[in-house]
Amino acid sequence: MTAIALFDVLYCYERSGFVLSCPRLELRLGELTLITGPNGSGKTTLSKLMCGILRPKQGRISIFGRRADELSLGEIGSKVGYLFQNPSRQLFAPTVWQEMLFVQEILGQDPQPARARAEQLLARFRLADLKERRVYTLSRGEQQRLAICTMLMGGAEFFILDEPTAGLDRSHRTELYKLMDELLLEGKGLAVISHSRELASRWKCRQVRLREGQVLA
Amino acid sequence: MKSADPRVKLLWAVVCTSGAVFFSKPWWMLGLTGFSLFGALLFGADLVGLTRRLKRFLPVLLMVAAVQVLFVRTGAPLVVVGGRVLLTADGVWRGLSAAMRMVIIFCSGAVMAREDSRRVINSLIQMKVPYVFCFSLFAALRFIPLFGEAFAQALTALQLRGVDLRRVPWRQKLRLYSALLVPVLAETLARAENLAAVMEARGFGALPQRTIYVRNTMNGRDWAAVAVLLLVGVFAVRFYYAS
Repeated sequence: MTAIALFDVLYCYERSGFVLSCPRLELRLGELTLITGPNGSGKTTLSKLMCGILRPKQGRISIFGRRADELSLGEIGSKVGYLFQNPSRQLFAPTVWQEMLFVQEILGQDPQPARARAEQLLARFRLADLKERRVYTLSRGEQQRLAICTMLMGGAEFFILDEPTAGLDRSHRTELYKLMDELLLEGKGLAVISHSRELASRWKCRQVRLREGQVLA
Repeated sequence: MKSADPRVKLLWAVVCTSGAVFFSKPWWMLGLTGFSLFGALLFGADLVGLTRRLKRFLPVLLMVAAVQVLFVRTGAPLVVVGGRVLLTADGVWRGLSAAMRMVIIFCSGAVMAREDSRRVINSLIQMKVPYVFCFSLFAALRFIPLFGEAFAQALTALQLRGVDLRRVPWRQKLRLYSALLVPVLAETLARAENLAAVMEARGFGALPQRTIYVRNTMNGRDWAAVAVLLLVGVFAVRFYYAS
């Protein structure tokens, strides 16, 4: 099933004049797509377009069959999760446990099922022992796992990971790869922005290359 | 006057903002607002660009002025509905004064924002302001755009967690906005810690004295501007309190 589709999308930054163009791109559930390209080629811009953070000047983006320009970021967020390069920017509560329940409390959802789901996810992503830890004392890898857990709490089906291996040592990278494997097995979709050859060789996945703002396929 | 020494611009900003604090008489405030706008244009401030960037704060500024208009009860009644005074002359005046104060501060900010921060710091050092204070100010100025970026990214991240801000009740919205400060504050502390480590690694404060390679020099026009500003400031205070 197609999660995100871009049709003749054009985006430009007015200040720098940088233009990104993407004739056609489809990202599906159960698939890993690697987005690669040199620095400044537009990888992050493309990923931000894919989850509605940026709106295209031309063309159309559809997210789970609905036009992205008709959806609010909140609506997109309930289907698509975005892991920022710096995950500490997307953690809002003091402790790991509070972080897991933060959005559900804000939205006034029934606390019982939310707590059960949070327990289950923390155990699955090897964060159960860190429940009472302050989020800012977690390592980068742990913060990434926590951020992904919170997206799963919100019901995300497709995940965009921006340079997830940057700054991670081998053991944390292995943890991350395991997590990605689990998500794929569960039928979730993944788009990963990365320079890492390790990723490409490990999964033999589909690659989307960018050069000077052009999506080459 | 665009290339005037930063000390002239600082003096002008001090004169304008001090007047905005002390003056409360209508015509004086109006005069000061005109003086500030004239100065901002003379010093080459990008008022249009800055207005565009600060547009989102306009409702807050209008609200501050509106609160003054509605809640001041002294003065001649201007609008009376069913025997109840809605607007008074003092209220309108205070509202206008609040708006004019904001314009004056905005003009001062616009002029200083246009100035090269390195030149401003050099000027402060030449004015014998302690270097540690100048450096802190310089570092703080560099941090400001990063705050904005971190705050915007946190807000986006929050929405991408499935929070539709339009549907969140006001009480929860307040909680949300205060929660947004958590990542911004954490990042600021982390940056400050890194900066402190880098500064120490580069020998900051190793010696009590510091020299400056580039020195700002005041030319005749700058000295004349300083004299005019001082005279305007002294005479304004003298006549304001005499009138």
